[in-house]
Amino acid sequence: MKKHKKNRNVAIIGIGQTHHSSHREDVNQPEMIHEAVELALKDAGIGIEDVDALVHGNMELFEMVHQPDLWHVIGTGGYGKACYRVTTGGTTGATIVGVGDNIVASGLHDIVMIIGFEKQQEGHTTGGITNMADPLWARNLQTGALTGATAAKTIKEFGEDRAKRAAMRLRVTLDKHAALNPHAHRSFGLDYDQIDDLMANSPQLVGELRLIHMCSQSDGAVAIILACEEKAKKISKKPVWIRDHVTVHREETFNMFGINENQEVTHHNAARKLFGRNGITNPREYFDVFEMYDPSSWWGLDWLREFLQLEGDEHLKMVENDEVSINGSFPLNPSGGVISTNPIGATAALRVAEAALQVRGDAGAHQIPREVKHALASGFGGTFWTVLFMLEKDLDWQEAE
Amino acid sequence: MAKYFDVSVEDIFNTMEARFRVEGAKGVNAVLAYDISGDGGGKWLVEVRDDSVKVSKTDDLSGFSVKTAADAETFVGVNIGKIDGTQAFMSGKIKIEGDMALVAASAKMFTRYSLPKKSAVTVQGIFDTLLARFQPQNAAGLDIAVGYDITGDGGGQWTAVIKDGKCSLETGLRDNCAVVNIVKAKDYIDLILGKLDPMVAIGAGRLKLKGDMNIAMQLPKIFAKFEPPKEEDEQELIVIKRNISVDMKYSTGPVMGKFFEGLIEKKIFANKCPKCGRMQVPPREVCAECRCWAGDMIEVGPDGTITLIEIIYYSSPDPLTGETRETPYAQVHILLDGIGTEETFWHLLKNEDLADTQNGDRVRPVWNDKRVGSVHDIVHFKKIRD
Amino acid sequence: MARRVAVCAVAQTEFVSNMWHKRFQQMCFETVESIVKQTGVDWNEETGIRNIVTCSDDVFDARTISDNGITDAVGAHFRGEEKTAQDGINAIAYAMACIMSGHDDVALVVGHTKESQAESRNMCVNLAFDPFYCRDLGLDFEKGAALQARAYALKSGISETQLAKAVVNARRNAAKNPLANARELVTVEQVMNSPMLCDPIRALHAYPVSDGAVAMLLAAEDKYKEYTDKPVWLTGWSNCMDSYFFGDRDLASNFSLKKAAAAACKMAGVSDAKGAFDVVEINDAYAYQLAMWAEGIGLCDENKGGEWIESGILETGKINPSGGMLAGNPIMIGGLARAAEAVIQLRGEAGERQVAGAKRAVAQGTTGPAGQHQAVMILEN
Repeated sequence: MKKHKKNRNVAIIGIGQTHHSSHREDVNQPEMIHEAVELALKDAGIGIEDVDALVHGNMELFEMVHQPDLWHVIGTGGYGKACYRVTTGGTTGATIVGVGDNIVASGLHDIVMIIGFEKQQEGHTTGGITNMADPLWARNLQTGALTGATAAKTIKEFGEDRAKRAAMRLRVTLDKHAALNPHAHRSFGLDYDQIDDLMANSPQLVGELRLIHMCSQSDGAVAIILACEEKAKKISKKPVWIRDHVTVHREETFNMFGINENQEVTHHNAARKLFGRNGITNPREYFDVFEMYDPSSWWGLDWLREFLQLEGDEHLKMVENDEVSINGSFPLNPSGGVISTNPIGATAALRVAEAALQVRGDAGAHQIPREVKHALASGFGGTFWTVLFMLEKDLDWQEAE
Repeated sequence: MAKYFDVSVEDIFNTMEARFRVEGAKGVNAVLAYDISGDGGGKWLVEVRDDSVKVSKTDDLSGFSVKTAADAETFVGVNIGKIDGTQAFMSGKIKIEGDMALVAASAKMFTRYSLPKKSAVTVQGIFDTLLARFQPQNAAGLDIAVGYDITGDGGGQWTAVIKDGKCSLETGLRDNCAVVNIVKAKDYIDLILGKLDPMVAIGAGRLKLKGDMNIAMQLPKIFAKFEPPKEEDEQELIVIKRNISVDMKYSTGPVMGKFFEGLIEKKIFANKCPKCGRMQVPPREVCAECRCWAGDMIEVGPDGTITLIEIIYYSSPDPLTGETRETPYAQVHILLDGIGTEETFWHLLKNEDLADTQNGDRVRPVWNDKRVGSVHDIVHFKKIRD
Repeated sequence: MARRVAVCAVAQTEFVSNMWHKRFQQMCFETVESIVKQTGVDWNEETGIRNIVTCSDDVFDARTISDNGITDAVGAHFRGEEKTAQDGINAIAYAMACIMSGHDDVALVVGHTKESQAESRNMCVNLAFDPFYCRDLGLDFEKGAALQARAYALKSGISETQLAKAVVNARRNAAKNPLANARELVTVEQVMNSPMLCDPIRALHAYPVSDGAVAMLLAAEDKYKEYTDKPVWLTGWSNCMDSYFFGDRDLASNFSLKKAAAAACKMAGVSDAKGAFDVVEINDAYAYQLAMWAEGIGLCDENKGGEWIESGILETGKINPSGGMLAGNPIMIGGLARAAEAVIQLRGEAGERQVAGAKRAVAQGTTGPAGQHQAVMILEN
């Protein structure tokens, strides 16, 4: 698929994320958002008066607020500004970065702030997700985003012990990453010697999907400020360039997580399109870090293969050989990932934000110990929807185009 | 007794009966066992019988419905909210054996343990404000000394000297006091706060007055009432709880509508794409792949073959009814006969079949006697046993 | 400079008060099918549609991720899809941005709402208010409109007769629009004698409960020829958010609309809105809004909205030729339907209600209570 020339370049110039927790009862929704907004403005070194437009996103039925950007304007700073609201489920956070990318590149607005948030605690998350199912049929059957299908498939393909061990090793690795990230909602202090114990004793949710494999439900917000090239270079010492992004959705299926092994997975499709049109032939070599939307360890494991277009058991080996650890050759989710922090409307934006922090070298204790020039970040939502971002430290890729 | 965060394990159990909430334990009939290790630990049994509770320290934890094992620090920390319970559980610091749902339910059965409030009022604090509370208009013409002999922990001796409409305070007792109040520190504080009636205190001998009783009776006029300092509690953050619902009526349209009509007649209809031949069940108006209208309806099943079983151990509330299913139960993806090779039908498996059903097994719907055109027209699928 | 963006086609369902015989999936699909028929567009990833911007709402659809239920119907299977959760005119603007940015050459916009699905649309929009205070006061968009109507009447002195004439005009125009919902003619007396709904708003001052869907195909200036020989150019756009608490807002001030209109006019090179537009489509969910929003857009002087209604301008057929929101479009896609009518007029395809020689149109969309969020789009052929 061919790539179009961007009307103008767009960079991330400011990032702010709240403290994440299962209970942010200390603040209401606009107050929580305001925390992220202030931090992002401070990070960018600009004031709200410099921001031309806002993009807001989350899932309405999680908190049962209709078009919450209207109320939240008291915390977003949107008063008197152009405001957009775009939502796409779990992908929302990545989608709104994409919206920001497009409206800045279009020339309509020079500086745009995107805001993703969720206060999962204010509603019933699994019930909220179940509400996405068709009310006529599957709503009576679905159990939120919980499924053991991927575990069953992986076990079938690679054998029970190896599959379970790899999924749990990935879980422990990401828990160790989360321990390095002060913003992470949770880290349990897991270690590799607990793998056998956890494999056997962590409570089962659905099939071989166990409690320890599944992501958290978090309260939190993130704000990211995007600017056109001209302004980004003036304002920011370390702009992170958005090279390209792609969105791939798919039909609603009544058997939401039923297996159809003959159809390409959207993650694979999205990565194929994005890498193809940007001339990336070996993503494992090209990208210095990957912030993946990993709602469970089984999915995280399986999706490494899909995103990186791997064959056979390469993705298992990457985990088994610790290539995906923060010190490895292909660090995955140095932030700890979704498995540690998941305020759903913000989650995918956090992936982009964390990837950008890595490119800037500003990730603190969870900074990858080598230069990060190229970063990949993904969002996941709906019935297997994908948004995939490429971030760059330098603008030099354009010379090749 | 070892304390963690100023609380001992005993404190938690000793207050449990007082913290019991009858309304939170309706219909509960269970024995909760606790095996607390480490300094200050021990074994306790908590028997909840609908509207009563019995807590006992024991060596024998047999016969429990659920057993919670933790070290003393973790146990206390979780109980007073200093340690996140889920986190402790997930990282293996708390181990639970038996009916896990009871652990969550126990949060409703007992109010949270709270630290006993320490009195913010001290005898010294009362005397610090004495001069400010002096009411000269009620002390006209008086020339006296009033002694206070406050005994016990936190006590002391003071003399208030009242002369020419002025008052001064000295530590120690003057010899020439017109009256001396002799009282224990704790009782004095209660007297001042109005918790202890002065006549009762005198009658019980807890307050002794040496000297002129009449002057003692005037003291409440000479000194204004002591106002205890406002306790600097953390602000209690109010959380508003609401159940939000808006009634909806969902159209089914001609395609889904035909499917529901079929269920009433014990028939399962799929739709078929006129271009690629793909079938979908429950049917959808459009073939997503060909992007065309797919309204041809074909009867399939009702028997089929299981392609995937999902055994659910964690049940979420049904968003339509608010009811939570009993676990475990199984969802099955079924390839109905005549549907092709891909589009599975999603429904529940009969609970009794859970133990011995596998992928590839043949199943058949069990129809509801009363069918109205809904998902519930099929109760569940059952394994075909020939 | 970014590429110019053209609207190549529009499609709408009929608007009715209860489309009980169709799921909204079918409503969406019918509009998409019509777009394909009109333009021959396909979903080829190199040359056709690879991004769809939808517009719908989770609360009205009673579905978390409402776009999840329509991905197949709007052709989004293995394509991009992004849902705007505010008035659909913003979906057009975002689709336009996707093309201007270079990200896409072609973009499909599809919006839908079935107000009839909910027991009460007011209960749905009550949820737009904060759960602590305003929600319990019983506020919804109708009550918000009533407060604003009173504030506007006090400020501008608009009369009951003038308000009634707005409704009469809506019905007169709607009668010529076969897709409109409320098409029966009414008289000034009927409007003035209709029962009070929420003082000062009368039953006939309010838009009827409506269901419907609207689709639109956008293409870049170097691509549109493949789909149409009658492009309608999107030349001006802006939106703007007012504050939230009614007590913080001057409800009669048109704060956000004035800002949005000024920015849109600037982008389109319109120096004075007065007389600049051959076709005007105002998102008048309530009668007073025709006058008040006209002031906000700058079509008449401040406080002269009532007089503007009686100035003879309505009789020209240029103001809300579709019948406007008062003739019945659902919430969420009122502004999208306004823009759709503007496109139809600029293509010269409006039949009986065609404004002769229309060259430039303005369409407005509002989101939230009492026009908290306003959007203005300028279109030219």
